[in-house]
Amino acid sequence: MAEIVAAMAATHSPGLTGWFTRGPKEHQEQVLRAFGEMRERLAAARPDVIVAFSNDHLLNWPINNTPEYTVGVAAEHVGPADWYDEWLALAKYRVPGHPALARHLVNEGARRRLALAYLREMQFDDGFSVPLHYLTPDMRIPLVPVSMNCTVPPIPTPERAYEVGTTMREILRAFPGPERIAVVATGGLSHEPGGPRYFWVDEEFDLWFLDLLKKGDHATLLRECTLERMEEAGSGGTAELLAWILVMAFTRGPAEVLAYMPAIAWRTGTGMVVWNELAS
Amino acid sequence: MAVGNVERCDKTLPLNEMIFYVRRDPALRARWLTDLEGLTREFGLSRAEYEALNDKDVRRLNDLGVHQYYIPQIMRLFYGAGMNTNNHPALEAYKRAFPEETARAMQLQAELDARTRS
Repeated sequence: MAEIVAAMAATHSPGLTGWFTRGPKEHQEQVLRAFGEMRERLAAARPDVIVAFSNDHLLNWPINNTPEYTVGVAAEHVGPADWYDEWLALAKYRVPGHPALARHLVNEGARRRLALAYLREMQFDDGFSVPLHYLTPDMRIPLVPVSMNCTVPPIPTPERAYEVGTTMREILRAFPGPERIAVVATGGLSHEPGGPRYFWVDEEFDLWFLDLLKKGDHATLLRECTLERMEEAGSGGTAELLAWILVMAFTRGPAEVLAYMPAIAWRTGTGMVVWNELAS
Repeated sequence: MAVGNVERCDKTLPLNEMIFYVRRDPALRARWLTDLEGLTREFGLSRAEYEALNDKDVRRLNDLGVHQYYIPQIMRLFYGAGMNTNNHPALEAYKRAFPEETARAMQLQAELDARTRS
């Protein structure tokens, strides 16, 4: 049986690679310090594979057909997608996949009434590229990317993300292999990509949300952090935190907040957290 | 619920379908700059969609129901993608389209700058 060995979450804003030096010096230092800390914790957990949860920015699926979840099942992933490399200022990279685990997730999901689309060639935008760049710069740890729809209405609710996280936790742990699995959420915090408040960051919301994570009571967070509250803090972007809420289902108790910055220069509330206790 | 801006999106708008294909295809991206009108006709866009595009009018695109995430992408198709800072021409179009929201954000930015400098 496989084992979950680490759970963490971070922002993936394109500015973190594309125009990083335009952020205040202090923010740059905080980002590097927090990602450095995450990298160390990840290495200490000795994962055989990372299952990462991000959102598709209308890159892999056209708007007439946007699955709620999509699993990348390739033996090797290549990123960033052509349209994104210049924007992210990242060179092309290759990262191994884990087809056996990815296909197990898709098929076992179906048996548990969880519909997961899959792609043999998933295109990577900032969602996977930015965290990989910082967390696994040598791109050696195999990756199973899972993209979520957090931006095309109807946007799923936090309860739904948590429920899917719980099911995925059971499925991943039931994988017939000794794999040590790290789960990583990417996205958020408050931002409104392309909306009227494109340049806005809701610091108050972000600190409130992080505080709920720090308190570690999942039921309270799910009750208070509604989809409406997230939309109010930045429409079509803040709900990327659904990936964090999904990963929260792999954990127990308080999250440790490594950094937070209301980074208008990168156009997102920017933060990094790790969970020290995992769900049994 | 307080409906967020993203819910204004018209999922069935031809322009929302078109951008997906243009972004992925270098040949279509080139035609975007040389034959926008022909391209929009092939994808079945209305005259109003074409005109809002041709005018690079962020506000009208938003009002027509273009998915908000696609609007800066549309601006990038015109202006290029590199160093997409808040002063990039693709973003300047936003400041013109939503002056009030932008002014609030810029004020917050000034306060944050003061805080990180102190």
